[in-house]
Amino acid sequence: MKEKPTKQEKIQANNLIEEVTEILGPCVKCGMCKSNCPVFKTIREESISPRGHSISLLNKKLEESLFDCTLCKSCERNCPLGIKICDSITKAREALSLKKKNTKQNEEMLKNLEETGNPFGNNPPKGEELFCC
Amino acid sequence: MNLLPYEYDASQIKGKAKQVIFPQSIGQVKSIVATSPKITIRGGGTGLSGGAVPNGDIVLDTSKLKKIGKLDQQRKTVEVEAGVILDDLEAFLEDYNLEFPVNPSSHTICTIGGMIATDAVGSRAIKYGATSKWARWIEVVDSKGNIGRKGATEMSDYTNMEGITGVIVKACLNLIPKQKRTASLIPVKDLDELLELTQKLKSHESISMVEMLDEFTSKGLGLEEKYHLIAEFEDNTGKMKDEKYTELLNLRDKVGPLLSREGYLMIEDPKLHHNKLKDFLTWLKIKKIPCFGHISVGIIHPRFKPNEEKLISEMMKVVKKLGGQVSGEHGIGILKKKFVDPQDKNIIINVKKRTDPENKFNSGKII
Ligand SMILES: Cc1cc2nc3c(=O)[nH]c(=O)nc-3n(C[C@H](O)[C@H](O)[C@H](O)COP(=O)(O)OP(=O)(O)OC[C@H]3O[C@@H](n4cnc5c(N)ncnc54)[C@H](O)[C@@H]3O)c2cc1C
Ligand code: SF4
Ligand code: SF4
Repeated sequence: MKEKPTKQEKIQANNLIEEVTEILGPCVKCGMCKSNCPVFKTIREESISPRGHSISLLNKKLEESLFDCTLCKSCERNCPLGIKICDSITKAREALSLKKKNTKQNEEMLKNLEETGNPFGNNPPKGEELFCC
Repeated sequence: MNLLPYEYDASQIKGKAKQVIFPQSIGQVKSIVATSPKITIRGGGTGLSGGAVPNGDIVLDTSKLKKIGKLDQQRKTVEVEAGVILDDLEAFLEDYNLEFPVNPSSHTICTIGGMIATDAVGSRAIKYGATSKWARWIEVVDSKGNIGRKGATEMSDYTNMEGITGVIVKACLNLIPKQKRTASLIPVKDLDELLELTQKLKSHESISMVEMLDEFTSKGLGLEEKYHLIAEFEDNTGKMKDEKYTELLNLRDKVGPLLSREGYLMIEDPKLHHNKLKDFLTWLKIKKIPCFGHISVGIIHPRFKPNEEKLISEMMKVVKKLGGQVSGEHGIGILKKKFVDPQDKNIIINVKKRTDPENKFNSGKII
């Protein structure tokens, strides 16, 4: 059975969500942050763009797609209002984690770390199977 | 699926989406249109009038129609799909020493389809005019899902119609050789000097942009609290070159969102004849309404706070009294519907009836 968040974790998650909406509060939805977002540039879907994250988070909708962000901060460089979009995404991910809504991959990684000390477990992929942007 | 991001554009209006579809080819657009009852067309979602905000219907997002096709270097033309982002096109053309000259401040994110649909203007209007002037032909999917190529004479049924008449899927654009540009930032002492200098700059042989910033906007950008002009030249006339030039233009692109941060979330885009600008700018100054804009072509961007609806209506009356247009470049969308002249509205209704009798596209927009 899936683990449930404790009362304390729920409070912590809600506090984080409050912080997220505070960070994103000044967002005017201009979309300038999309300019160099590598994820948007590749997938071309607004929901995984920084403006998409901002709109969803401002509406307190925490989606698994938050984990699609590379945390590269390119959006922050292009936001004319200097909004810390990346910080808000990191906090929102933390809130998801506290609510026990981690992605399957994250759960697996945590389990591997606990059991073997290696995020890939006992059968890490070969060098050439790993890739990085 | 998370539909929230598709229920907004840059206008601050929120709509309701039933579904969002991302066609990856023109063939897919045809079948989606043929089988869907009501469609809102979305490009980059940078519109400032709510044109891409859905009304409970299906959102057709053109972002994945991103192919840059045939480039004819001799004739200086390029064929592009509607979802190509303007700056991606410019990056592609750079290798061939060519460029597309129309430059709205949203150039890093707006799509060619959205630019044609709104007939985007931008800061180089004095030299290059609006987007439609640069389209050789466009291909449009009609409400039955059929595709047709529209040349110069038929194009006006689709350009500046904000998607209410059909989906623009492809265009052939005229290009120019890549220009080397410089710019100057000029502080001026008052409105008289601002307008006089604007006229002088407009007749300079290498001018490609004259933009104005009012005192409030200048201060917000860290400049002296005075009116300023930004003049761009297609030679070495400007004082700011290379990086300094790029810095100045980047600053210019950020003016709109920066004023939004100050609470001025609403942006208008009236267009006035040069000899009416003094009256208009004086009125804005008396009413303490911040503004900036493409002064070379009379397009001014006054900014308002969300509770200033009455002041916007008052301003529109002033614009009409001075013989101006209520929207010079951002389109009507949802926000400016109530300001459309009844005669213009009838013309638009007739085009709509002829091109989209079932009212499939962008219902509730413009008319
Ligand atoms: C910071 C900022 C600066 C801006 N500066 C300028 C400027 O200088 N000059 C200017 O003119 N505008 C400016 N705009 C407004 C906006 O960027 C332009 O109107 C732009 O052309 C819209 O392009 P888009 O792809 O984002 O279209 P969207 O916002 O997605 O759509 C705009 C309208 O066009 C329709 N549409 C979109 N694609 C298609 C298609 N393929 N077929 C049919 N209809 C379609 C939509 O339904 C909607 O009605 C600015 C906006 C922002 C946020
Ligand atoms: S650039 Fe900044 S203000 Fe504009 S949509 Fe992105 S986060 Fe919001
Ligand atoms: S930090 Fe995330 S949202 Fe921002 S540009 Fe990078 S990938 Fe995109």
